[in-house]
Amino acid sequence: MLYRISAAWARIELACAALLAFCVTGLILLNVITRSAGNALFWVDELAIYAMVWMTFLGASAALHHRNSVAITILTDAVPDSTRRLITKTVDIIILGFALAMLWFCWRWFLPADFASAGFDRMAFQGSTFNFIYSEPTLTLGLPKYLFWLVMWLFALGALLHSAMHVFSAPKEAEPS
Amino acid sequence: MSPVIFLAALFISVPVAIVLVVTSIWYIWESGNTILYDSFAQKMFAGLENYGLLAIPLFMLTGELMNEGGMTRRLIALARIFVGGFRGGLAYINLLTNMFMAAIIGSATAQIAVMSRAMVPAMQEEGYDKGFATATTAAGGLLAPVIPPSMMFVIFGVLAQVPIGDMFIAGIIPGLMLAGGFACVITLIGWSQNFPKGQWMTKAEALKALIAALPAMLVPLAIIGGILFGIATPTESAAIASLIAFLVGWLIYRDLDPRALGEMFKRTAANASMILFMIAAASVFGWVIIYEELPQKLAGLLTLITANPFVFLLIVNLALLLVGMVIDGIAAIILITPILLPIAVGSYDISPFQFGIVACLNLVLGLLTPPVGIGLYIASSMSGASPGAILKSLWPFLIVVLCVLILLSYFPILSTYLI
Repeated sequence: MLYRISAAWARIELACAALLAFCVTGLILLNVITRSAGNALFWVDELAIYAMVWMTFLGASAALHHRNSVAITILTDAVPDSTRRLITKTVDIIILGFALAMLWFCWRWFLPADFASAGFDRMAFQGSTFNFIYSEPTLTLGLPKYLFWLVMWLFALGALLHSAMHVFSAPKEAEPS
Repeated sequence: MSPVIFLAALFISVPVAIVLVVTSIWYIWESGNTILYDSFAQKMFAGLENYGLLAIPLFMLTGELMNEGGMTRRLIALARIFVGGFRGGLAYINLLTNMFMAAIIGSATAQIAVMSRAMVPAMQEEGYDKGFATATTAAGGLLAPVIPPSMMFVIFGVLAQVPIGDMFIAGIIPGLMLAGGFACVITLIGWSQNFPKGQWMTKAEALKALIAALPAMLVPLAIIGGILFGIATPTESAAIASLIAFLVGWLIYRDLDPRALGEMFKRTAANASMILFMIAAASVFGWVIIYEELPQKLAGLLTLITANPFVFLLIVNLALLLVGMVIDGIAAIILITPILLPIAVGSYDISPFQFGIVACLNLVLGLLTPPVGIGLYIASSMSGASPGAILKSLWPFLIVVLCVLILLSYFPILSTYLI
């Protein structure tokens, strides 16, 4: 069950990441065209960068589902199967710990409970926490930056889902060949 | 304790990016500076807010489009015009095509995969030893990260805060030296092994091949020309190159099916995010490096040993050779640049361009050396030659790379002349 949710979510993440990769290409090309026409759009670069950052974190979360990351496998390649399974499980647990930590960092950063108890009033929230996350602007887009930062939540939750699946699923279920 | 966590996590095959994050988390905890956790996620996000990094997905996309668009075949035919008639013609064709490809694809592993499939069977058919054919192809792949565009140079440029365009230009002479060295190896081996005779094309054939390859040559022209003449940033030239690759593959060569674009963007997103996520993780790891004053401590140690920049670079080369053998090149460059570059520039007055080229070339060498030579395994699985057989023919090429590395370390002008 967990495996199926994780797989479906990874598919969605990867599809969104692909769409964002397309956006990055399109935006940079748009920039080239408008600039050579002498009418450069100043907001394109910033938007392209955010598209790339979103692509990265969605793709990185999906990679955790597929166990598709750069890692050093000298040791795991050399040990017998039973030891390798043990090591893999340990790695899965470390990644789960990482995902939980990321979730906690997002919580400490966005302080959603404090924001809610301030009645979603930015000034009151800032006054009590000295956290200015909700008033930080983007440079050229005219949007609050926290909208773009939200991807860190998506990443933390995605990583939590995928790593929990690897930790709690039986090895066969988690790695259909 | 942090170094222990770092090494232990690395060796039980925790993904490199997560090793960096976990070590940083541990370090902050140990140092009691837990206020840093508040901005941890923000710092990771900020690590990617860099215009230069946009070039990474774009160059990857160009590579994907090239593979699907039937350009490799035409570039091989183009190379045949120039070197096909020499004894051992196919080996030179292999090398020259690798140079063309290096000017389009920025990644050695991608290039080795494509070229092994395209060249090794053809060379075998003409009577070359399979191991030698694969070794030539794999060595040619080493040109990819040195001849512009290069994924590693983009990453190094971003980390070192030097213009990526200049970094690309700095790679041209070292790339040509490497190719020249490889050509000498092929000639020498050809004398001793009596390579099959090549055949020159007739004028009509040559003209046909030249015309067929012209549209494909637009891609490297757009990339190198755009950067060299300052018309476009590396990021923009990468986008233009991907557009050209798409249009040529689709409309002129008719090998590329626009319906395959979705899959290509998926592969691009997956591969680019793997690298970019490591860079994001490295930005929090930067805290560890800065607070621990790693560069300063290491510089103190190294300046005791030598004050000579060349000897320093030799020591760096030796260390990086070992690092490159166990860690993937791009992961390694992300790890070592923030530590070693300040020493090179600050204590030894070495140009960041020279340092970048030496470090990048050195670290890609690890692709072809056991025990974790990914390039070697890719070449082996694509061609069917065993890694041992490839290594047997590969060592002369590796010696050439070492010689080039020493020259590049000794003469800074080789890296900085064109900038």
